[in-house]
Amino acid sequence: MNLLAPLFALGALAIAGPIIFHLIRRTTREQTPFSTLMFLQPSPPRITKRSRLDNLWLLLLRCLVLGLLALAFARPFLPRATPAPPPGSGQRTVLLLDTSASMRREKLFDEARARVEKRLRAAQPGDEIAILTFDRQTRTVLGFEEWRKLPGDQRLPTVLQRIAALQPGWAATHLDAALLQAVETLDQGSATQPGRREIIVFSDSQDGARLNGLQGFQWPRGLAVTLDPVVAKKQQNASLQWISEGEDNGKPGEETSLRLRVNNAPESKREQYPLRWNQGTSAPLEAYVPAGQGRIVRAPTRPAEATALLISGDDTEFDNQLFLLPPQAAQLPLLFVGADADQDPKGSLYYLRRAFPKTARQNVEITAHRTEESIPAFRLQQAQLLILGDTVADAPLASARQFARDGKIVIAPLTSATSTSVARLLELPSLPITEAVPKDYALLAQIDFQHPFFAAFADPRFSDFSKIHWWKHRRVEVSGLAGAQVVARFDSGDPALVQVPLGKGSVVILASSWRPVDSQLALSSKFVPLLHSLLEQSSNLPAQKAQYFIGEEVPLPGGPQPLTIRKPDGTEVRAPAGSKFAGTDLPGIYAITPGIQRFVVNLAPDESRLTALTPERLTSLGVPLRTGHETPAELLRREGQAQATEIESQQKLWRWLIVAALGLLLLETLFAGKLSRTSGSSTVAPT
Amino acid sequence: MTTAPSAPSASFLDPAALMSIRNLELRARSVVEGFWHGLHRSPYHGFSVEFTEYRPYTPGDDPRYLDWKLVGRTDRYYIKKFEDETNLRCHLLVDASKSMTFGSRTYTKLDYARTFAATLGYFLAQQGDATGLLTFDERVREYLPARHRPGHLRHLMLALEKPAAGTTTDLAAPLRRIAELTQKRGLIVLLSDLLAPIETLEAPLAMLTASRHEVVVFQVLDPAELNFDFTTASRFLDLETGRDLFLEPSIARTDYQRRLGEHLTAVRSICQRLGIAHVQLDTAQPLELALFDFLKVRASRGKIIRRKAAA
Repeated sequence: MNLLAPLFALGALAIAGPIIFHLIRRTTREQTPFSTLMFLQPSPPRITKRSRLDNLWLLLLRCLVLGLLALAFARPFLPRATPAPPPGSGQRTVLLLDTSASMRREKLFDEARARVEKRLRAAQPGDEIAILTFDRQTRTVLGFEEWRKLPGDQRLPTVLQRIAALQPGWAATHLDAALLQAVETLDQGSATQPGRREIIVFSDSQDGARLNGLQGFQWPRGLAVTLDPVVAKKQQNASLQWISEGEDNGKPGEETSLRLRVNNAPESKREQYPLRWNQGTSAPLEAYVPAGQGRIVRAPTRPAEATALLISGDDTEFDNQLFLLPPQAAQLPLLFVGADADQDPKGSLYYLRRAFPKTARQNVEITAHRTEESIPAFRLQQAQLLILGDTVADAPLASARQFARDGKIVIAPLTSATSTSVARLLELPSLPITEAVPKDYALLAQIDFQHPFFAAFADPRFSDFSKIHWWKHRRVEVSGLAGAQVVARFDSGDPALVQVPLGKGSVVILASSWRPVDSQLALSSKFVPLLHSLLEQSSNLPAQKAQYFIGEEVPLPGGPQPLTIRKPDGTEVRAPAGSKFAGTDLPGIYAITPGIQRFVVNLAPDESRLTALTPERLTSLGVPLRTGHETPAELLRREGQAQATEIESQQKLWRWLIVAALGLLLLETLFAGKLSRTSGSSTVAPT
Repeated sequence: MTTAPSAPSASFLDPAALMSIRNLELRARSVVEGFWHGLHRSPYHGFSVEFTEYRPYTPGDDPRYLDWKLVGRTDRYYIKKFEDETNLRCHLLVDASKSMTFGSRTYTKLDYARTFAATLGYFLAQQGDATGLLTFDERVREYLPARHRPGHLRHLMLALEKPAAGTTTDLAAPLRRIAELTQKRGLIVLLSDLLAPIETLEAPLAMLTASRHEVVVFQVLDPAELNFDFTTASRFLDLETGRDLFLEPSIARTDYQRRLGEHLTAVRSICQRLGIAHVQLDTAQPLELALFDFLKVRASRGKIIRRKAAA
């Protein structure tokens, strides 16, 4: 016999009541009124065996009544043999294991792994389980396909072996992507499997987990997501974040103090954290940050060798190191081929040198090639932009041609109508150039602001080129140039800026020049940005960021030979030049060889937000969250409970028990009445 | 004073049967049946037919009472006293405390005492004597002054029939009160179980005798009180104090009887010392016997006084 509500059986403890009452009554059963106790001395009672026996029957009846009542309330039923569940109706479950950096705390990952293992061991034979790990990326440890293929007894050891090899990384938590991937995994072949589908997330479910990707996602029906959070004992956390100063144009060599954001977790009790460099002996900077807030502080002066800033005083260690590098100037050599003197304000070079000042971010070095020999190969290789002067010999022109063919840009200003350099550069038999005679001056009109050269001026605030007067310009016959694109025209309709593709690169023909005799261009505010955009287009250098986050792809500089990237742990990875490096899986400073370029990879700042993720955030995004994790054993028990309720409602044994209890109660009443009558009559002393 | 109650003879009414009569007056009448008028003596001296005593003359005595014949014969001055045959002034004092409500039979001691009081009242009223009533527990409950007039007897019966409300027995207050209320000497009949500490009994009784009343004490006791013949062990509840005591009667009986005997002896000795007639009444005893006892006491009263005077 089973009980539906076994807790009610505790009511049987009420049997203690009558027993106690009987014990009490045995000593004070009869009361005899008497006129006075003046002449009486207390004498100990003698309990006869007979009185005990009398009560015992009554006691037995009363206990039986209470016991029956308790049993009736516990809803007993006789179990029936239930049919075994049909095979193949098992559950499809995706287990998502968090391997993000925050799982490095305490023993969170071990705990999560243990839970996964427990869940795996609790799996029913009909179940199908896939295991995915996620941080910034979602990786499949074991898919449904493989699970099906593995023999039943091999599954658990295989999975456990793979799980044991897992370690938490340093990446951020992209829970949204992981959930979507899990849904996709569940959907694969789900048509043949109508069973229950579930996603269980084993994570520290931190607030910093990314969830944006879940917005608007239509969750499939019959799918439940369960969070099985592992909770760290220590929640106090402070983290550092480098506010990159991309726009800082300080002078080269000048050490700018770095701006940092210090974040303090809402759970923290401390409000002051010392910041110090990993090298040197400078005094630490005390950053005061109230709990739950962030403050911007200036980093203390950096010792020469220091690469990381450390914050201490909190409970969580993994995010206490912030790697920093001072901004590095990009080396951008520029070639000028021509005879212009450096200090000649009538020439082109004079203005070029002044257009590229040295900044903290870039160092443009202009090399003038004045000889008639070809340009040395190493120069050509390093140069990012080539500008032709007035008269250029054939040998340097061939070099310039090669330079353009390699993918760079050659700027060819037409300083005179008789110049043949452009025709020779483009290897054209002839390029008809005539001197245009504008009335007073010409203006630029019809500028293609969509073109990368002028994209910087696309904003109406900067798009006014009418202030630049062109005193002289040359008319170029564009029709003879294959693939030439006119980027800007003068108001007379003559092309002003023409880009002619050559090989991988191009030749940009300016139908005038920036010499004062030709135009006011060099004096205008458009000159420097225009040259910079040309340099940018030519060099095609990847825009280097001050810092990267774990898992981000770093664009590598181009070049003929493959590059070697040295990771912070000392391992070296080879990567083709110009590709993107994706192996940023460790925080620290990466060095690219050949060259001296370095880049910094830090932890994603969101990873430091360790406050527990509220289920409401997930449910508001439409995640079909199931509160409280239900293992298959629990599920089985719940189903068994439902079945038991049904059987019990059919059998209704409690009614018979109540009837029996009532009958016994009647018997007890009669018996007790009789007993009290006999005892009542015996109270009066016989005379 | 009296011996243990004799076994009730067949001619007397069984108290249980008597108590089943609801009306107190009827009860009293049925007891008094067969007794007649003028059976007692008056405590007052005066001019009467019955000579009581000679007493030497002392200055201040009324010279009317001088026995002039004796003066003429012997030249001695003597006062000649006669018994006055006036009507009796009797006060019935009924204890209505809680201890009196005990009864091992179908009636309580209080029922018995009330019936006896009613009987006496009726009997005395028949004789033309004035009868008063005072019921008390720890204080005076009912008081009726001694009168002989039509309807007084009825009042007396009604007052007797009021239920007992008090708890403890306190003789001192009621007896002091009766001493205050009755200036004229008379007969005082006290009906009580006298189950109170012995030291609290003597002073009030002495006060009554000091005010020269004639006092008769009827100590009403239940047979169960006398014999303590309970069989089952139980909690014994004191009716007056509410205290209870668990007792095995067979064990407690000997001790109880010894201590009760001591108490009764003490009461008797007090009464004897104070010249109070003490009659112990068993509630199992017919009321007629109690009435006989009363009359016997009354008849022997003159002798007592004379004996005391001679002594």
